This record gives sequence, structure tokens and C-alpha cells, in this order.
Amino acid sequence: MTTEELFQVITELEPSAKQSEKTSDRPTVEVPPEALVALMQKLRDDPRLSFNMLLAHTAVDWLEERLFEMVYQLYSPQNQQYLAVLVYVPRNNPVVPTISSIWRIAEFQEREVYDLLGVLYDEHPDLRRLFLEDDWTGFPLRKSYQDDFILERPK
Amino acid sequence: MGLVKKEEYAFDTMPGVDVVLTKIDYVVNWARSNSLWPLTFGTSCCAIEMLMATGGPRHDLARFGAEVTRPSPRQADLLILAGTIVKRMAPRLRTLYDQMAEPRYVIATGACTISGGPFLYHSYSTIRGADEIIPVDVYVPGCPPRPESLLHGLLTLQKLIKEGQTIRKPGVRHKPVISEIPEGVSREDITAEMVELLEHDSVVNIEETLGNLERPTGI
Repeated sequence: MTTEELFQVITELEPSAKQSEKTSDRPTVEVPPEALVALMQKLRDDPRLSFNMLLAHTAVDWLEERLFEMVYQLYSPQNQQYLAVLVYVPRNNPVVPTISSIWRIAEFQEREVYDLLGVLYDEHPDLRRLFLEDDWTGFPLRKSYQDDFILERPK
Repeated sequence: MGLVKKEEYAFDTMPGVDVVLTKIDYVVNWARSNSLWPLTFGTSCCAIEMLMATGGPRHDLARFGAEVTRPSPRQADLLILAGTIVKRMAPRLRTLYDQMAEPRYVIATGACTISGGPFLYHSYSTIRGADEIIPVDVYVPGCPPRPESLLHGLLTLQKLIKEGQTIRKPGVRHKPVISEIPEGVSREDITAEMVELLEHDSVVNIEETLGNLERPTGI
């Protein structure tokens, strides 16, 4: 399936999803948060696409744009095709729906993103810290993160 | 070459009788320094590049008495730290150290373990040096150190043990030292030195020692 055909199928499945304008080495679509779960379910279950593998989930902190960019990397072993799904959420209210009901592994990946960037996942079954101690305050991968432990390089 | 100062010949004879004298300190330290059982604490790349390589057949740590790498701190007396230590690992490291039997020695290898290395600045998680948690005897610098650097560090520690501890004052430690290979010294030099040292320590020519005795006539 070529990239054009892929986008055509995706827009047909979920009209609110559109091709990202970001330069990337793999096909990328952007979707609003409320349509994320529906789109993911269709991407996995549609026999033409069958993106049944969630390779990675992470997030990017865009401090100046005041946005979190959620990145979902999908892979279809059947078609040997990659797809990146982007969701933008505001930095001051970062809530996205969980996709752990579709891919079970997303539960841990979302816990990691919550741990390090403080993104909240709606209806996540077990949203606790994963790597850091439970009593840690703050989210260290945010660009605005500061604490007393961090050393600044002397000028 | 003299990388390591050799111990004076530790056996003495008493004129008039067939007795060989030595020092308990010497014997105990000799035994300790040549039977170091390391507990590997490999947390990142140093563990593979240096520690496992040193244990492998090319460099072969087993030749120098530090052979039996132990996964349990109860059976180990040398803690080889190889890799970054993060905040969450620090209490576990302290526990491991406390569980080891006395006398215990620590070799800290690599930039991360010594000072935090590349994670010194702007890191929210990395401990800046293992000596913030446990006392360190020998520092082996490098990123990662060459396997021969670890061998040299081991030599330095053996020398420290042989010189330093006395059973009269247990628990008195040497100041930590930095074990840096002098310029122009190769792996072959270090291994040759270690072999020579090992032979010097382990082979005692009793016949020769006794031959020097002035035996009283008529016996």
C-alpha cells in the first residue's frame, strides 16, 4: 500500500484525522484527542491496515507552543508498514484518553509518560509512577523542571 | 618496571635452630590480597566494556586470584562498581555494601561511578560519585576504562592490602588512591608484572631459606 492510499483509507475511516505537515521519514497523521481511541481501534482492526503493533509511545514537550505532542508509533507486520499518530494537548491541561484497552502494553508506556512528563490518561486502569520513587514531586522530562538536586554547568 | 612495590622477603630465619619466622600480618594480607572475590555491580556500559571483558579469556581476571565473581554480597569481599548509579539504586548499593563481610574493598571504575561523568550537570537522577554512598578504595578512571586499567586497579588494591592492614587495628583503612596507568605501559607489561608478583608471592623456596642456616655442628 502506498502512502497516498494509506492516507486515503485513514481519512475514510476517521474524517477528523489529517496528514501531518511535519517532515518525517514515515507516514504521520494528526488526530484530535477525542477521536484518538476510535481511530486507533480502526487502525488495528481494519483488514486493509492491520496496524496491530504499538512500537512505542512517547511525548514531546513544546514549551514555547505550550503543547504536549503525544507520539504513537504503529507497525503493521502484515503490510510491513509504519505509521506515526500525533495528538496535541495543551500543556496546562494535558489529558488524553488511554489506549490501553486496545494494546495492553500501552498501559506501561503511558505510565512512563505520566511518570516523566505528567500527562494524564483518562480511564487508565493503573496510573502510577513507573521509574521514579512514588513520593517524587514534579515531572523531570518537562522543559520547565527544576529541583534542588540538579547542578547547573558553571558559566 | 616497578609498577607495584614488591613486599620485602617476609621470611626470616632464626640462627641456631631450624625455625622459619614470618609475620601473621604478612600471611593474612597475602592471603586476602590473592583471593579477592568480586561482587559485580554492573549498571551500564562499563560492565560490558571493561568488567566482562576482563573476566573473559583474553584478559582473564582469574589468573590473579580475583576469579570467583559472586552474585551474592555475603560471599564477596571486593565490590567492583561499573556504571552509572542513580538515586533509586543508591539505597540498594548501600545495602549490598553493608551485607558484605569485613574486610571489604571497593573499586570504582569509569567516569560515571567516580563523579557522575557525563551526567554531572542537568541530571535529576544520577549520583555524583559512588563515594557519596560508600567508601571507595581505588578509583579507575576512563570512559570506559580499558580492561588492563582494571587489572592495574586490582594490582593497586592488592598492593594497598599488602602494605596496609594489620590485624592489630582492624578497620583502619587506607586513603583512596587513583589507579592510572603510567604512560607507555602496555597490557603485556601489566600482565607480566602481575605474573611475576604472583610467583614472587606464592613460591617460597624453603630449601634455599633453610640452606642459609648456620647449623650447629654435631647434630
